[in-house]
Amino acid sequence: MIWEVFRQEARGKYHTHCGNVHAPDKEMALMFAQIQHGRRRPTHSLWVVPGEEIGEVDAEETTFGGTTDKSYRWAMTFNTDEDFAEEIAASQREQEQAERADRAGESDEDEADETATGAEATEEGESA
Amino acid sequence: MRVTMDIGTVEERAGPRQFGPKDDMPEEYRKAATRMIQFHANSEIMGAYLERPFIRQAPSLDRKLAFSAKVQDEIGHGQLLYRAAENLGIKTRKQMLDELANGEGKFLNCFHYPMDHWWETPMIGFFVDGAAMRRQATLKNTSWEPYAHAMDKICFEEGFHIKHGESILRELATGSRKEQELVQEAFDEWWPRILQFFGPTDDQSTHHDFASAVGLKTMGNDELRQAFLNAYLPKARKYGLEIPEYPRIHEHNDGRYEVVEDDLDWNEFWQVAKNDFEPGVAQIDSRKAAREAVAWVRESMETPSAGSSAGGVPGAAD
Ligand SMILES: [Fe+2]
Ligand SMILES: [Fe+2]
Repeated sequence: MIWEVFRQEARGKYHTHCGNVHAPDKEMALMFAQIQHGRRRPTHSLWVVPGEEIGEVDAEETTFGGTTDKSYRWAMTFNTDEDFAEEIAASQREQEQAERADRAGESDEDEADETATGAEATEEGESA
Repeated sequence: MRVTMDIGTVEERAGPRQFGPKDDMPEEYRKAATRMIQFHANSEIMGAYLERPFIRQAPSLDRKLAFSAKVQDEIGHGQLLYRAAENLGIKTRKQMLDELANGEGKFLNCFHYPMDHWWETPMIGFFVDGAAMRRQATLKNTSWEPYAHAMDKICFEEGFHIKHGESILRELATGSRKEQELVQEAFDEWWPRILQFFGPTDDQSTHHDFASAVGLKTMGNDELRQAFLNAYLPKARKYGLEIPEYPRIHEHNDGRYEVVEDDLDWNEFWQVAKNDFEPGVAQIDSRKAAREAVAWVRESMETPSAGSSAGGVPGAAD
């Protein structure tokens, strides 16, 4: 049975997908996940989820965000200034980053990071 | 077995995103956090209902689209927050939604007032969302992790709301003489309510001390009101809005603003806070009616095989 593994680096952060393990049950999956994914990278918590319980829809089956021009829901569309309040400027920065990543065809910068991590962790698991 | 954390430990460990569903938090913490997040969630929903009519009433297609996206965002914020509150184990989402319908659920003062005209919309879309955003940015550092995570997504989206609101304000303020007069009238009417957004000064607020001691709140009402005035008062002036003479606002040499609290109507504020203010009650009831009218949609999603409920005529939200 395959278990997908999600790692949280520190208290309060998000659990993000980091790889998967073979295991006959949840307890073993947690143990293997610790060995493969929780030893070298900073880890505060791990989740394991049965792979077959995960539902997925991807960009080949659907168009995320729709097919029409939705620029009306971006801060960048409105040319008032955002710098008068730091939290508005921050919100716009995040939106700009999301839009850039979307154009580049990837969800965000962290993803490349996570992929690299997954590979590294797998190697580590094999040598364990 | 885990032991419930005592308040002393909670206060000691309190910090940004320090506690989550796995921590056995004392009941006092869970109740305080529930009260705070439920209030926030209710406010998102009631705000959305206030703006919903402008999906139709907005004067251009662009504005209609922006309003529909915004209202959808706000309903989503409510849902995120009910989940964050539900995690505390005090109330379920259903309980909180029922409480909002039956008039027990409390929400932001500004959303108890009707908004009938297009020229009023920047009062909510710019000033109230702007005030809310000042507070929400500080809540990214709240100690209840699910609340902070909800805030990440909410703050991501809010930049659009406020810039859209300002863009409407600018359009009206640089429009015809008539439009300028109407937006000034709306401002005169809404400004005192907006000043009351942050509630009374801290020493009069009953829940503040505990909430800040356990890290749920990271900034007090006074400080937030100050930060709000710093950013938004110059904006009002920039668009030629005249700040009403009352409530008086003293500007000190060090740049601090002082709102003369006695100039504000606190009787009305507390009436609003208790859900006893008539226009607010009307808003609670009209949301309740809309919710009941579309109950058949929720039912058919939960039991698709049941078909439409016996004999009932499927209703629409309005
Ligand atoms: Fe919102
Ligand atoms: Fe908003």
